Amino acid sequence: MRLQKVTSLPPQAERVWQVSIHPTLPLVATASSDKTARVISMQTYNSLSIIEGGHKRSIRSVAWKPGLTGESVLCTGSFDATIGIWRRYEHDLDASNSQGGDEEEEEWRFALVLDGHESEVKSVAWSAGGNFLATCSRDKTVWIWEEIDEDNFETLEVMQEHTQDVKCVTWHPEEVLLASSSYDNTIRLYREGSEDWVCCSLLEGHLATVWTVEFEKPASPGYREEWGSRLVSSSDDLSVKVWTRVSRSGSTAEARKAPPSILRGESIEENWIETSTLPRVHTRAIYKVSWSSKSGRIVSCGGDGRIVVYEEVSAPDTEMVENDERKPPKTEWRVVAEIEGAHSVFEVNCVQWSKRWDKDAKGENDEVIVSCGDDGVVSVWELASS
Amino acid sequence: MDGKNANPTILNASDLPTRRQVQRKRVTSPLTSGLVPAYAQDPFVGSRDTEFSNSDESEDDSVLEPIDEQEIYDQKENKSVLLSHRSDLIATISDPEHPLTLGELAVVNLQHIKVTDDPSAIISNVLVELTPTINHCSLATVIGLGVRVRLEQALPPRFRLDVRIREGTHATGEQVNKQLNDKERVASALENETLMGVVGKMLETCR
Repeated sequence: MRLQKVTSLPPQAERVWQVSIHPTLPLVATASSDKTARVISMQTYNSLSIIEGGHKRSIRSVAWKPGLTGESVLCTGSFDATIGIWRRYEHDLDASNSQGGDEEEEEWRFALVLDGHESEVKSVAWSAGGNFLATCSRDKTVWIWEEIDEDNFETLEVMQEHTQDVKCVTWHPEEVLLASSSYDNTIRLYREGSEDWVCCSLLEGHLATVWTVEFEKPASPGYREEWGSRLVSSSDDLSVKVWTRVSRSGSTAEARKAPPSILRGESIEENWIETSTLPRVHTRAIYKVSWSSKSGRIVSCGGDGRIVVYEEVSAPDTEMVENDERKPPKTEWRVVAEIEGAHSVFEVNCVQWSKRWDKDAKGENDEVIVSCGDDGVVSVWELASS
Repeated sequence: MDGKNANPTILNASDLPTRRQVQRKRVTSPLTSGLVPAYAQDPFVGSRDTEFSNSDESEDDSVLEPIDEQEIYDQKENKSVLLSHRSDLIATISDPEHPLTLGELAVVNLQHIKVTDDPSAIISNVLVELTPTINHCSLATVIGLGVRVRLEQALPPRFRLDVRIREGTHATGEQVNKQLNDKERVASALENETLMGVVGKMLETCR
């Protein structure tokens, strides 16, 4: 297979850090160094609106709140240490009736600013149901916010488990489980304990900054009920790794053997192990990976300007080991497509799978990859059989 | 001041390696000649295909030269409009605490600059290793950032920069290296006015 460009949007003046796909509507939002976020139609690939004036420095991260109808809510995280919440009514723009109001400029309303972080906010993420918002910063903390009323956010927890800059936060698609990755080379997972949020797992194995983490969706073809969603991570050490949960307290023999926690009423520790390392292709830092819920493929991008697509080679049967304790299978991945110079000579900052919405879409399961780079360009790619 | 070296070794400016007045050897690369004008004249050209097919054979010698170590280190006389922005280079950057340049203080040395400019590759690499005047120099990160900023401004975007502290020359070299080569941290530093004020002063002597 090969990666074929569907289109490139006219470049913005400055670097585009991130693209974020709307959970249900044909929209993509971008975060840029020019202090703006933009919303682009995934049907026509036209720019629909520009969100500006809310941040004093680069917008690094942007996220759509899931679970809404009739309205869109965007969260922006900025190097100015603040988080913005923006709202817009979506009158004519739903998945079934999308031809009408697509082109018209809709007004985004600045709703509120969340402050508290001491330095650059690096990533923002809504939980699957939209109840919780997680943010992280160079100040080494991960914050969890809850929207208790409309536009009234409460800080539930400030966690300083990492010893360095926190680069990325992401939520589990079904459980209330948060993952963060850091400049300290580790990944941490958090759960709500009996009284507060606590770190329930530490994933070590990367040898340099872990730029990004993302969970597998249950709809993905490689998803296995018995192991649940896996986690993919990418790093400055040029590797992409997949992690699988081996045990959760109370749920397996291994956890029952562990000494009970004295400090907490119940132990909520989890044990995750590395079950795959993807083939090494990138020659510079891997800034982003995205795991498709339609095809189960993983796409990565990085400082070397490459976009690489990987596919899981069918896994061997789950091994049975002593004491009837099962271990998740280690699986192999292969490269199915790669392109060099995806954004000409520039670094590629983000890639994200999206449902294909344009006129050439072949059914519900057709998908494209949206990428952005230091050239200020947002590009759309399809996987073509060669 | 803690990190200050009161008696740094100073090199005589006339002993520093330079290529001014020296005849340059020109190497022609149709690939790079296609890349540079395509980007410089029209930032809207984003596709790789367009750029690579755009290898017109014009005799504009300003775009025919690959970049080498001497050019990174030293000043180059080049009247070309296209490339004049890269003629100030890192040896002439001022030290933030001494009235001397990084070249005079031997913080930057020609033999510690490595350029991999393969005309057939899409991206090229520049590695600069810095030698701090003392091994606990508190300004190593700022100096590294100044070198990085200078090169980012001066070099075409196909270059990937690695600015590192030479192994064994600084107490916290690995920490400094990690910071200097973290894209987010560098991007954020460039938005910090105080820090950029210091860097701006260091770069004043480059012009």
